[in-house]
Amino acid sequence: MKFTVDEWFVVLLARTIRPAETVFHGFGSPCAQVAMHVARRTHARDITLIEGAMYAVNPDPPFIPPTSNDASLKRGAAYSMRFEEFFDAAIRGDVDRMFLSGGQIDGYGNTNVTAVGPLERPKVKLGGGGGGCNLAATIPHLSLWSSRHRSGRALVESCDFITDMGHRTPSGDRAELGFTGGGPQWMVTELGVFDFPDGHARLTHHFPDVTVEEIRAATGFELRVAGDLRTVQPPSGAELSALRAVDSLGVRRGEFAPKELDRVFDHDPAVGCAC
Amino acid sequence: MGLQPHRNKVVDLAAAIADVRDGAMIALGGGLSARLPMAAVREVIRQGRRDLHLVGSAHSIDVDLLVAAEAVHRCEESYVGFEQDLGLAPAYRRAAETGTIEVAESCCVTILAQLRATEMGLPFLPVRGVRGSDIRRLHPEYGEVTCPFTGEVLVAVPALKPDVALLHAPLGDRYGNLHLEQPYVLDERFASASMRVVATVERLVSTEDVAASGVTIPAHLVAAVTEVPFGAHPASCYPDYAYDREHLSGYVKAAQSGGEDLAGYLKTYVYGVADEREYRDLIGSERLAELGRWPESTVDWKGLFQ
Repeated sequence: MKFTVDEWFVVLLARTIRPAETVFHGFGSPCAQVAMHVARRTHARDITLIEGAMYAVNPDPPFIPPTSNDASLKRGAAYSMRFEEFFDAAIRGDVDRMFLSGGQIDGYGNTNVTAVGPLERPKVKLGGGGGGCNLAATIPHLSLWSSRHRSGRALVESCDFITDMGHRTPSGDRAELGFTGGGPQWMVTELGVFDFPDGHARLTHHFPDVTVEEIRAATGFELRVAGDLRTVQPPSGAELSALRAVDSLGVRRGEFAPKELDRVFDHDPAVGCAC
Repeated sequence: MGLQPHRNKVVDLAAAIADVRDGAMIALGGGLSARLPMAAVREVIRQGRRDLHLVGSAHSIDVDLLVAAEAVHRCEESYVGFEQDLGLAPAYRRAAETGTIEVAESCCVTILAQLRATEMGLPFLPVRGVRGSDIRRLHPEYGEVTCPFTGEVLVAVPALKPDVALLHAPLGDRYGNLHLEQPYVLDERFASASMRVVATVERLVSTEDVAASGVTIPAHLVAAVTEVPFGAHPASCYPDYAYDREHLSGYVKAAQSGGEDLAGYLKTYVYGVADEREYRDLIGSERLAELGRWPESTVDWKGLFQ
């Protein structure tokens, strides 16, 4: 059996979720959305999955649609939260993990989904941050992702605009800003995986078809590398089949540059199930 | 503000929108691809409104179309775009990049707090985030407040009181009782925080029928109600119909290309139709029926999005 980089990427995102957590993804985030359903079907069956933009609790959607508030996303859910019910839970700290991405991400895990270039006359006006600039303050753990690391434009030395706060902004660190959440814990890219010891991104894993030098060249901030750097753990058969069942329309693939999707790997049936 | 008296509030769409003034702060109901008040948006454009201040959470073609028609002065949403699938909002993006609109990008939580302040009759509410985010720079009107009990410094956001909320619902009665399907998004909060609620509904039914489905927004918050089948198209209005991805994709292409293509879209779907009956005829009963066929099978449902 073969699998592609988008599948591996989503499985790595799924593994940032711990059992029993309450997890949420924002809208327009198919990779994170699929990852939450993969986690719920493999290693973290007791999570409380809150479907972004529907606020449905533990749905079993027949497929993941290309929009985040289609009714298919509340299928099988006994309950959907009201908008305010979800945001209240998140700002009081009851939502354990959220997924965030951005057109730009810096080494402290600040993200920019607002504008590239000067704010007064942006070069590119991006869509905007949804609830991020409050949720990033209070949610205990953030899993970041970027599927455009290789472009050299995504992981930057400093964001042109900070929409969602990471571990440190020019206004101070999280303690100084009075934040109750823990900030970015993991960042998964199509080249590797980072953690945030001391509040700054550090490469812990790389994909086997990518070198550290390639990663350094694509990274705008100083690349810190873990002493025990290794290759990313391959997906299990259970994870791949969960993913394929959940995302039969393949919406996750839209997040990647087309040539990334040519990265095909051989599945080793000896790889155990993570669940 | 005052609650609305109990009377028959049925008017036609043109009359309902005639009360919206140039420069008004408009709250847009629904979100992303769901239950956007598109019939009302098209009528606002047809009536030539200008300098509008739009507020909402995450929106797409409703805001983009109003910006394309040069009806907007200030945008205060948490997001405007077509998600990962169809990408950035072309007219909004162009207007932001050339400085023809004021971008006051906000946050779902902040807007919620601002509406709740109005609902509670308070001048502001505090939020824990926003500090350290450049979103703060877009809002000189925000302040800071020190908690008298804990000493924590929090961002204070002022009460937000839209002049008009435009909402679309599957069911309503003539008094303005509305039944919505989840996600309600900010519709309930907009209904109680706004000066005036104008609702379009798929079907006007008896009070008994809307009560049997469940009243989400009560008549005493609604000023005007008008029956507009497919009034959210090309957004969805479940359980009646799914969103029209093909139409949205066509819009995004026209808006990306701008100029004559975008003018052509506006001419065809907004200015060139006298009312929503003509709009429905233009989309075609066959296509509209297709969007309603989602419950027949998963294959049919999924097929709409391929």
